Amino acid sequence: MFDGSNKEQTSDKGSVSYAEGEDFIHIENLSKTYKRDDSETVAIEDFSINIKKGELISIVGPSGCGKTTILRMIAGLLEPTSGTITVAGHPCDKPGPDRGMVFQDFALMPWRSVIKNVELGMEMAGVPKEERRKRAEEYISIVGLEKFKDARINELSGGMKQRVGIARALVNHPDVLLMDEPFGALDAQTRNLMQAGLIKILDKTDQTIIFITHSVDEAVYLSDRIVVLTKRPAKIKEIIEIPWPRPRDRASPDFTALRKHILDELEKENVLDD
Amino acid sequence: MSFKYDKNNKYHRLGKNALIVVVSLTVFVLAWWVVSILAHSTVIPTPIKTFDALISFLQDGYLGISAGRYISASLTLFLKGFLLAFVLAVPLGLILGFSKSLNTFVTPIIEVLRPIAPMAWAPVFIYGISYDTGPMLVVFIGIFFPLLTNVIFGVKKIDPSLVDAALTLGASKFHLFTKVMAPSAIPYIMNGIKVGLGVGWMCIVAAEMYNPRGFGVGYCISDMCFNGLWPSTFAMLIIIAALGILTTSLAEYLQKYVSKRMGVE
Repeated sequence: MFDGSNKEQTSDKGSVSYAEGEDFIHIENLSKTYKRDDSETVAIEDFSINIKKGELISIVGPSGCGKTTILRMIAGLLEPTSGTITVAGHPCDKPGPDRGMVFQDFALMPWRSVIKNVELGMEMAGVPKEERRKRAEEYISIVGLEKFKDARINELSGGMKQRVGIARALVNHPDVLLMDEPFGALDAQTRNLMQAGLIKILDKTDQTIIFITHSVDEAVYLSDRIVVLTKRPAKIKEIIEIPWPRPRDRASPDFTALRKHILDELEKENVLDD
Repeated sequence: MSFKYDKNNKYHRLGKNALIVVVSLTVFVLAWWVVSILAHSTVIPTPIKTFDALISFLQDGYLGISAGRYISASLTLFLKGFLLAFVLAVPLGLILGFSKSLNTFVTPIIEVLRPIAPMAWAPVFIYGISYDTGPMLVVFIGIFFPLLTNVIFGVKKIDPSLVDAALTLGASKFHLFTKVMAPSAIPYIMNGIKVGLGVGWMCIVAAEMYNPRGFGVGYCISDMCFNGLWPSTFAMLIIIAALGILTTSLAEYLQKYVSKRMGVE
């Protein structure tokens, strides 16, 4: 499924191919200031990080600190005030299928069937019908929705909808998968299942993922590294490496200790002092 | 043998609703009957007299012209006015919803024209243009504005995360328009059609009254009225109501069907 043949497509833009573990995404001195009439709100200040190919990076931070803003700038949906972002050597000045995005509210087209949703990106890129169908079917089976490929979106549960969202992004072989609180709208049980499913996808590929989440537990369970942000204006407070293999045991002392550490750090940020 | 009402049974529910409708209409007819007797005036015929007039109109027509011809004349004008409004309002609404500057340019013009009652245009169109196209243009106006505002509203109401999703999948401006905005506006377009058909049907009947030699139901009812043929006039009211109900139910059915197809019930 996720074999070498898929990966060739990522590099047919004439870019250098990157090996797993190589620095792949460069974010330098990224800042975002929202200007409105004469008031200015600094959302992100001086955010820099290098992300390796195949890494799963989570970004956690106090509510409203601007996690999503960072992701939207990488996606090219939002222009940084200053700083640069490159993914696989390309600047991120406009959105494109090389940076696939998964949305908290799924953002699926309700008038399209499951397979038609997954095909949308390829359809717009002019991929021939036969090939598009074949690739879409492949990714629908990766997320385990073969039986629902012709279903309508409103017939699916939340977890199934998000699996469509993931297949829709992955089918275009993105350099990076940007996940904006992807499991935030799901119940706890479905959330755990989705996390396990994501780990399976990670096992089979060297997909680079940037993952925004509210859930510290989720971040510790999934990530190679966790970026902890301060409250607004968001700066990097701490970057934590997690070398443990996946799947991880949520009940292990290391796991709970790390979770507590991050929660404590966030607690300090949440103090209402202004 | 006993009958027990089961609210989970579809047929029981339908039967119950049908019964309520029958009772409601019976009450209406009885009330009409009482009023016609109390009023003791030729202007308000009894339901029986009206029913007789209705049958004779459907069988023999009026002034040597068959009932079918009056009805089809009105429906044809109505359909023409609707089609004209549809082909103009839908693309225009989609474009105006899509382009902010164009919308700012056109909105003042629309806001000046929109509050004018469609019937105010009737003499202008009918005496100024022609007896034939005039009523059709009145219907057009009646349908055009509700449809246009619904389409613009539909494009504006689009879920911004659908736009983001399409952009991250590589959508161009053209793709955004064809793959996201137009389809997501369709349920609103259907709602505009539903509202427009209701307004349009009122317009056609009224507009035809301006036509001294027309064939439509509006012409027919005003002529009957002038000639004091009250039972026939009331029979025409029933026909106009029935055709109105028919068009709106058709629009409602279409709207439900399309919404279902579009996955937005």
